[in-house]
Amino acid sequence: MNIRIIKENLVRRAMFGLCLFVFSLIFLMAFGLYQKSKPILAIVSLKDLLFSSSWHPTQGHFGLSSFIAGTFWVTAIAVIIAVPLSILTAIYISEYASGCVRRLAKPIIDLLAGISPIIFGVWGIIAVVPLVRDYLMPFFSRRFSFFPFVSDNYTGFSALTGGIVLAVMTFPIIISVVEEVLRTVPFEIREASLALGATKWQTIKYAVLKKARPGIIAAVILGVSRAFGETMAVLMVAGCSLGVFPKSVFDPAYPLPALIANTYGEMMSIPLYDSAVLLAAFILLIVTALFNMVGWGILLYIERKQASG
Amino acid sequence: MKFKTHISVKNLSVWYGRHQALNNISIDIPDKKITAIIGPSGCGKSTLLKSFNRLVELQDGAKVAGEVLVDGEDIYNPKVEVTHLRKKMGLLSQRPQVLPASIYENVAYGLRIHGIKDKRKLDEVVRHYLKESNLWDEVKDRLHSSASKLSIGQQQRLCLARGLAVEPEVILGDEPTSALDPLSAECIEQRLLELKNQYTIVLVTHILRQARRLADHIIFLYLGNLIEHGPAEEVLKNPRYLKTKSYLEGKFIEEPKIDKELNLRGVIYPDNLIAAKLALGDLQFGQILKIIVDYEQAASELPKAIEHEGHKILEVTKLDKNDGAIIVQKHNGGYVI
Repeated sequence: MNIRIIKENLVRRAMFGLCLFVFSLIFLMAFGLYQKSKPILAIVSLKDLLFSSSWHPTQGHFGLSSFIAGTFWVTAIAVIIAVPLSILTAIYISEYASGCVRRLAKPIIDLLAGISPIIFGVWGIIAVVPLVRDYLMPFFSRRFSFFPFVSDNYTGFSALTGGIVLAVMTFPIIISVVEEVLRTVPFEIREASLALGATKWQTIKYAVLKKARPGIIAAVILGVSRAFGETMAVLMVAGCSLGVFPKSVFDPAYPLPALIANTYGEMMSIPLYDSAVLLAAFILLIVTALFNMVGWGILLYIERKQASG
Repeated sequence: MKFKTHISVKNLSVWYGRHQALNNISIDIPDKKITAIIGPSGCGKSTLLKSFNRLVELQDGAKVAGEVLVDGEDIYNPKVEVTHLRKKMGLLSQRPQVLPASIYENVAYGLRIHGIKDKRKLDEVVRHYLKESNLWDEVKDRLHSSASKLSIGQQQRLCLARGLAVEPEVILGDEPTSALDPLSAECIEQRLLELKNQYTIVLVTHILRQARRLADHIIFLYLGNLIEHGPAEEVLKNPRYLKTKSYLEGKFIEEPKIDKELNLRGVIYPDNLIAAKLALGDLQFGQILKIIVDYEQAASELPKAIEHEGHKILEVTKLDKNDGAIIVQKHNGGYVI
């Protein structure tokens, strides 16, 4: 038989195998985590695990709700800060900035994306924590003493701090992707709008952004996914104190990834402890996967709607 | 050539980075007529067109020098509000560019961005201009469905309606039929012919037949230089210069081989005529002389006088702001170009 054909078959099969391996990893991981968290699910009801906030491993209480709430606080704050800022930055870079500024901005943003999370964490402790402690927290507790701002945590290590640091970490991803997306919008669309006498901002608002919407949503999903799973920097600045259900942006938050990183491997002699922590990991995996799927679903829906009108 | 001027271009040069796309163009565009800009691709047709509504500035590294007077006002004056200027100039691009919105919103877009919110007025304008561009009957039942669903010919008519809705004075067409099927193209051409009573129309086209069908006035550009312009009849039937003739006959355009160059800058008529005649006397029949003169000289009597002597003027161009060149072929009975 022709050696070329053999090679061809071999290469194709090898690559198929590798591809299958990569795909199966996600399922293997999910399955493994599920297996490991089964013991606790057998004893404590899922409802208690998800909605109880009492975390006393020695007494067999493994309520995860404060951790889940912490995750959502930190992520939501990060998204609220990061999404508008980074989309506007991307618009500036791609639509208004001169070629020189654009060429300069791009590598700097990529550099920001490449910095290790621990550095963001340290920066958070020395810069953001004092900012929250000395300015934001006193200001808000004086002027806006109602729901998401009331807190008795004066340390500066809080959900808001974690959110701010996380927002800074998600900037580069969103900016970079949105800028890329804006660049794919045909120049002629802008020309058509400008030729009618629209200002640049009107053109961006009504023509460019509309055309780029699916891509921008994809960018946001990408950013949020990163925010969800980010561990190190958040762990350093978000407070992470046990037994506090975060009711305010100034309360300390203890997100799921931080819980896992902090406690897994310690105190494993406590019954069901590792099972509870791995359940937390399983939940994180599921939530991230769900979020991604919903995001891509929205994206597909919009794309299809745009294609068919 | 007596006509009312609408757009007056004076010494317009455009650079993209280091590349000069237009070289000292000076020309008048007649009011309420169709002016066709013709020339081989890459000769600066679109650049000239887009310099009329300052879209040319959007290109990276574009630099513009000179003046473009619209209604007597220099549009490159920093005081001119560019949105106001562009409102005066409807643009039909090569491929129709519908905005990502409904048919209705596409036509209403121009009005909305200029601050008209009255629903009844918008409805009326949309209906009027869709009728004007011959699209109303085809879309009246689906005004609120997406414009991208229309055929490409319908899209171009929609773009026409959208452009007309802001009540421009000028319609700029950048090869508006080149992406369309013959029927749609025909439809657009018909619309343009009907619209020329109300609007000044400037059309870039690479289709000579289209220029013949539509144009009242022709501008021929070659490599960023204005070679010839004038009433369509004259330019298309009896082109004065060699390059125009080659282009119209579908021949390869080549630079004439210059046998002798004569610098007559600062020399005025009729001294320059005498010098030119002496120089021509030294040449063989059929050889080519390039005379560099002050542009006013090149643009006035000198070429005519040389032609009167029986020599053939191949080209009169503007070299830069002040200087022009006349390219003359010494007369010889047998030489056919």
